Amino acid sequence: METLQFAFRKILYAIPLLFGVTLISFLLMVYFGPDLTYSLIGKNPTSEQIVEVRTQLGYDQPFFIRYGMFLKEIVTFDFGNSLSTGERVSSILLRTVPVSFAVALPGFVISELLALALALIAANNRGGFVDKGIMVFAVVGMSISFLIVVIIFQIVFCSVYGLNLFPVQGWVVSNVADYIHYVAVPTMVIVFVGLGYNTRFFRAVIVEELNRDYVRTARAYGVSRFRILSAHILKNAMIPISTRVIISLPFVVIAGNLVIERYFNIPGVGLITYNAITTGDLPIVKAVVTSTAILYVIALVFTDIVYRMIDPRVALNS
Amino acid sequence: MDTQPPSSENREDPSVPEGAVTEPVSPVIPTAEASLYRSESLWTKSIRKFARDPMGIAALVIVSVFFVIACGVWAGWIGQNWSALQADGYTGMSREHWFGTNINGQDIYARTIQGTKTAFEVGLIVAVLSTVIGGILGAVAGYFDRTIVDEVIMWLYGCLDAIPFYLFVAAVAFALRDQPYAMHVAMIATFWSSTCRIVRGEVIKINSLEYVQAAKALGVGSMTIIFRHVIPNTFHILLVQGTIAFVSAIKSEVILTYLGLGVKHGVSWGTMLSESTFEVSAGIFNNFIAASSFLFLLVIAFNLFADALQDALDPKKVTAS
Repeated sequence: METLQFAFRKILYAIPLLFGVTLISFLLMVYFGPDLTYSLIGKNPTSEQIVEVRTQLGYDQPFFIRYGMFLKEIVTFDFGNSLSTGERVSSILLRTVPVSFAVALPGFVISELLALALALIAANNRGGFVDKGIMVFAVVGMSISFLIVVIIFQIVFCSVYGLNLFPVQGWVVSNVADYIHYVAVPTMVIVFVGLGYNTRFFRAVIVEELNRDYVRTARAYGVSRFRILSAHILKNAMIPISTRVIISLPFVVIAGNLVIERYFNIPGVGLITYNAITTGDLPIVKAVVTSTAILYVIALVFTDIVYRMIDPRVALNS
Repeated sequence: MDTQPPSSENREDPSVPEGAVTEPVSPVIPTAEASLYRSESLWTKSIRKFARDPMGIAALVIVSVFFVIACGVWAGWIGQNWSALQADGYTGMSREHWFGTNINGQDIYARTIQGTKTAFEVGLIVAVLSTVIGGILGAVAGYFDRTIVDEVIMWLYGCLDAIPFYLFVAAVAFALRDQPYAMHVAMIATFWSSTCRIVRGEVIKINSLEYVQAAKALGVGSMTIIFRHVIPNTFHILLVQGTIAFVSAIKSEVILTYLGLGVKHGVSWGTMLSESTFEVSAGIFNNFIAASSFLFLLVIAFNLFADALQDALDPKKVTAS
């Protein structure tokens, strides 16, 4: 019962957040955004046609009505048609999201797991040679730009100057072998880019747990080092770690893919968004920005509620 | 790094006052006698600690070298010929063109040097403004903890955090049309939130300290307390956050420029790397190697500098010694 109340309060708290996110998107992209009138009508329009399109776009309406129209677009998931292809934005998204997900997911999962393993090893050998080695690697990984990683991996794995094992670009997937063939290099890039930041973060969390009293008590009782790490510390460190994982999911699926999908020419949300940005295709950008932001807020609320169910110590105010 | 056992580097040995410790950075001469009654400020102690960290010093030297290069460009001494068409495209390395030329026959060395200036421009503008905004809003939110002011500020950064960064930049670019500063505005608008969050947490702790309570009891105005008593005590956080924002800004500039949202006039390492994406498949690596090595060196030096700074400024560690 209390959990239900907690969930309800959390959902209530999300409403101002959703309001703010949609308001910011609306202000930036619709209210102060570009005038779409002339993108929608053909050459040599009559003044009646111009007025008609402007009415259709709601440019003659006051602020709140237009904001309401924007909210309606979100709720009905109907963002209009793409300006460049004329296809419905919602069907574009439905087509491209699974591709982005397929590209991003393996790298994301491997990166998080590998980082957790490295962080555990580093924390277990705190101050030692292994720890220093892993942390130096993490700082180096953090310091290489995403773009440089993409270029280097492509030279090494896809070009005649390197191993030339994988396709330079594209996405022609009909079976599992194809999938692995095309997803391999993007996955390696994603793993490498995320590894540095994640390892450092996870190690900091684990080291903080290591300093707590219960660890000392367990050690005094003669519990083995491995058991303390795997059974006690990991369990307690799981809250900050899984928060980070869950709330980065919406970003990983859409935003993180912009560079990779453009560089490898993979027809996911990232590439669509990139093309929309360069051609000024507002409906697509609007749809992608707002739906990612809303997904993020939902993920945030979801994690809070799940924690409360797992760990009743999580207080309402913290 | 950030949480090492206190035994390794925190325990200072006051009987060894020679060498790096007594360099001009340290106004307090730690003789054995003085150290018994030493009442150092966080800053003098931090500087002394920083001076002992070889990694931090090396990083600072590298960053300074880059900064001198950037100043040289600002002053008009070096890297001025970055846009002139000087030779055939893709000439190799030569005495006239140290790193060769690009497709248009522009000197890559001059462009790399000019890019250093662009990087510092972006980094400094974004780091300073986002840290100032984050610091002030964080202090105000923390001071008025659990009031409507606090709620509004938290709501604001909650909303901004929800929008993915690259897409937010795209949205701002739509709103600002062809303004060259759309990238800077977007970075400042998003980077302040992490500073704000940390400062707010720290200020909530500071609020309950005696000197703030005393100032309140004496009837000092809220704004005076915030700006004179509270914010100066968060400077160590602001410094570290500023260096982190600087690094993020330089790294983001490269990605944004590649995505067509970043630097549009002038040259940056981002524009050079974007050019190089068409060249590496043809086996021409001049642009790529020049820009990426400069970028990597500056970013790793700044990262290490930020780490050393964080270690030196961590007040928990200072009190532990």
